[in-house]
Amino acid sequence: MKKLIYALVSEGKHPDKLYDYLPEITGIGGAVLKAVSSYQISAIISEHEKTDIGADKFKALEFAEVIEHLSQKFTLLPMRFGSMMNSTEEVNIMLERNHERIHQNLDFVKNKFEFGLKVFCDSDRMTLELSSGIVAGIDNPDGNSAETGNSVFRDYVNKKLREHKIEELRLKYVESVIGEITEYFAGMNAVHTFRKMVSETNIIDALFLLGKDQKDTLVDAVSDMQKRNPLLSFVLTGPWPPYSFVDKTIK
Amino acid sequence: MIHDNVVDKSKDITILELLDRVLNKGVILTGDIVISVADIDLVYLGVKLMLSSVETMEQLKSGK
Repeated sequence: MKKLIYALVSEGKHPDKLYDYLPEITGIGGAVLKAVSSYQISAIISEHEKTDIGADKFKALEFAEVIEHLSQKFTLLPMRFGSMMNSTEEVNIMLERNHERIHQNLDFVKNKFEFGLKVFCDSDRMTLELSSGIVAGIDNPDGNSAETGNSVFRDYVNKKLREHKIEELRLKYVESVIGEITEYFAGMNAVHTFRKMVSETNIIDALFLLGKDQKDTLVDAVSDMQKRNPLLSFVLTGPWPPYSFVDKTIK
Repeated sequence: MIHDNVVDKSKDITILELLDRVLNKGVILTGDIVISVADIDLVYLGVKLMLSSVETMEQLKSGK
């Protein structure tokens, strides 16, 4: 039987707590969940006859649900959906081989949850606002209103220059918002990552790793930022298990 | 209506965020089997999650 692994869980000082809890939840397709344990780490698995479990969105959501439930009670590292091993022995070998790294990673995320913060803007409106201040300067750099000679090339260069300036201003603006967010979270000891200009409208995609008890502070901070930046939409998601703050690969 | 829109949008984002995490993040076992999930489409979320826009979260906090 193949072993589908959902998460690597720290047993802590009370491994019985995990074993007692597992019967309360089920895996993909109602599968029984089991713990394969070594070095005070438990790999939470379910057994399947085939490698092909008929992966679809419902199975992915069932998988996520198991991780969600476990994360409410234990420190864990979520596995990527679809991670399978051939036997319990292989799972044990994996735990033995990687136990130090896994423990380090578990310590890093202990009592912490992941939050996502997406910042959206109305792209057209932002372009309009940013461009309003630079159009005159580009079209008539010398302030000479008598210069009206038409040139396709000049129009083209001006258009490109405008686009470039707007992009420059847009990036500067995004940097200033990131600065504001960073300042807010400086006192929260949050581990964070930022992606800028993910799309035309999604200008910031940020991830934070925060203590459970910091949730309310985070909500207040985001709410405050929203009030200070009415042209932007701040969307906060979480708390998530620490999907984005785990070691990417183990062998 | 505005509130409904906010909730709907955040629900859509939630689905994308969840599936993005489950499918693209988390620990990977190198050298072992990883099921292909290319056919998964992003439509429905049945998992309990506490997430929302700030506005919705504030309402949850104040119990409205």
